[in-house]
Amino acid sequence: MENRDAMEIKTFTVAELKTALESENFWLTKSLPITKHRALSYSRNPRADEDDTVLLVAYQDNRVIGYLGILPDKIFINDVGYKLGWLTSWWVDPSCTTAGAGAILLFKALNAYDQYIGVSGGSREARKALNASQRFMALKPLQGLDIRLRLNVAGNISRRHPALKIFRVLFKILDAMTDEVVNLRGFIWQRRNSQCQRLTFEYIAAIDEETDRFIQQHHRHDLTRKEKSDFSWIMNNPWILSAPLKDSASKRYYFSSRADRFCYLGVKVFEHHNEMIGFFLLKVRDDRMSVMYCYFGSRHAASITAAAFLHALAMDVSILSLYDEQMAASFSELDCPCWSARKNSRGFSLSKAFADIPLANCRLQGGDGDLAFY
Amino acid sequence: MHAKITQMLFSVIDELNQLRPTDDHLEKNLETPLAGDYGRLDSAGLINLIAVTEQKAAVELGRPILLTDDRTLSQVNLVFRTLGALADYIHLRLNEKNDG
Repeated sequence: MENRDAMEIKTFTVAELKTALESENFWLTKSLPITKHRALSYSRNPRADEDDTVLLVAYQDNRVIGYLGILPDKIFINDVGYKLGWLTSWWVDPSCTTAGAGAILLFKALNAYDQYIGVSGGSREARKALNASQRFMALKPLQGLDIRLRLNVAGNISRRHPALKIFRVLFKILDAMTDEVVNLRGFIWQRRNSQCQRLTFEYIAAIDEETDRFIQQHHRHDLTRKEKSDFSWIMNNPWILSAPLKDSASKRYYFSSRADRFCYLGVKVFEHHNEMIGFFLLKVRDDRMSVMYCYFGSRHAASITAAAFLHALAMDVSILSLYDEQMAASFSELDCPCWSARKNSRGFSLSKAFADIPLANCRLQGGDGDLAFY
Repeated sequence: MHAKITQMLFSVIDELNQLRPTDDHLEKNLETPLAGDYGRLDSAGLINLIAVTEQKAAVELGRPILLTDDRTLSQVNLVFRTLGALADYIHLRLNEKNDG
């Protein structure tokens, strides 16, 4: 066996990540521990302090063999704020699984945040490792719906059965035909649905005063209580860029860094005489739309769900994902035209340092995949 | 004390083996490699070993030991090289506590 150098773990605070962004050497490794736009986003996080640890990288023989990102945040329980870090983008080189890098990264992250760590989603391997640590407790998962509006046979077949790509033209024709059926059913549904007729919208790229006040009135039970600055940061500093082709960075970074279509859209929803009844932040990634954050009074749940569905129809997505229980419950009452509506859930865990803190009746929003928080 | 630590670690191995396929069981032997170039544990396995060892040390040795502090994490490949190396390290740490 070749002689290997000892593994070295480098810790990057927000300040150090800003320096790394300017450094040429940091970006020369075969595997990248982070992309530049993700690093920029980390460094602009309004909830992060300059000395917060946000990235841990394991190096061996000048190679990156593992990394773990941490997103500093604050959660609020009974009006008391607690600082924590959300684990994100935890990766270990498959050829170095026995080096211990995964374990070191996890425990160093816990130590960096005094054991106050949160986790959202994650791969099966990551969840297995987190369970094994006995340091985490699962929260009640978010229960929602995946609503299939369009079949997108061409896209699905290409992903699942690449060999059938040769029939792509036929599948596209089939998609075009079924999409016309969807458009027609959607049109009829909008005409018949009185809720849709009453709704008007305003799109925002940053949170205005009216929306800020509205969110504050409706986020009392939110664990993370996102504010104006948080939403502006999320909307203006995405971790995924809309780009047609893979660039060199996305080939060297394990997690997603680009999509054919990616955007956030802030939607204010009004009813009757310009009465604001809700706000939601949509995320559109390729053919999927997710309602990432939503704020509304219970009596407006159906209208807000109808508003989200209208946007899914208008933006030609195949799937609309809802992670709000009230919206998911309202969906069945609306009789929206769709091919299927399947239950989905999104798991969250907090470290056991939170064990004595009453978390019942708290609501979590956001978070998806690759251990990322949004 | 060293014999007690070894017995405790063997019971840790018993627990870990319950989660591993029969043909991949870890031997209850001080030479059994854990982490590093010849290691048998992947990330989840090592994390599990650490968590179960901390738990069992508190119960079976009556002495809590922390294996996730920066000192231990900075020498993972030495401390967890073999079961024997881990036993030596736990012995060292417990003795330090006594001296302190």
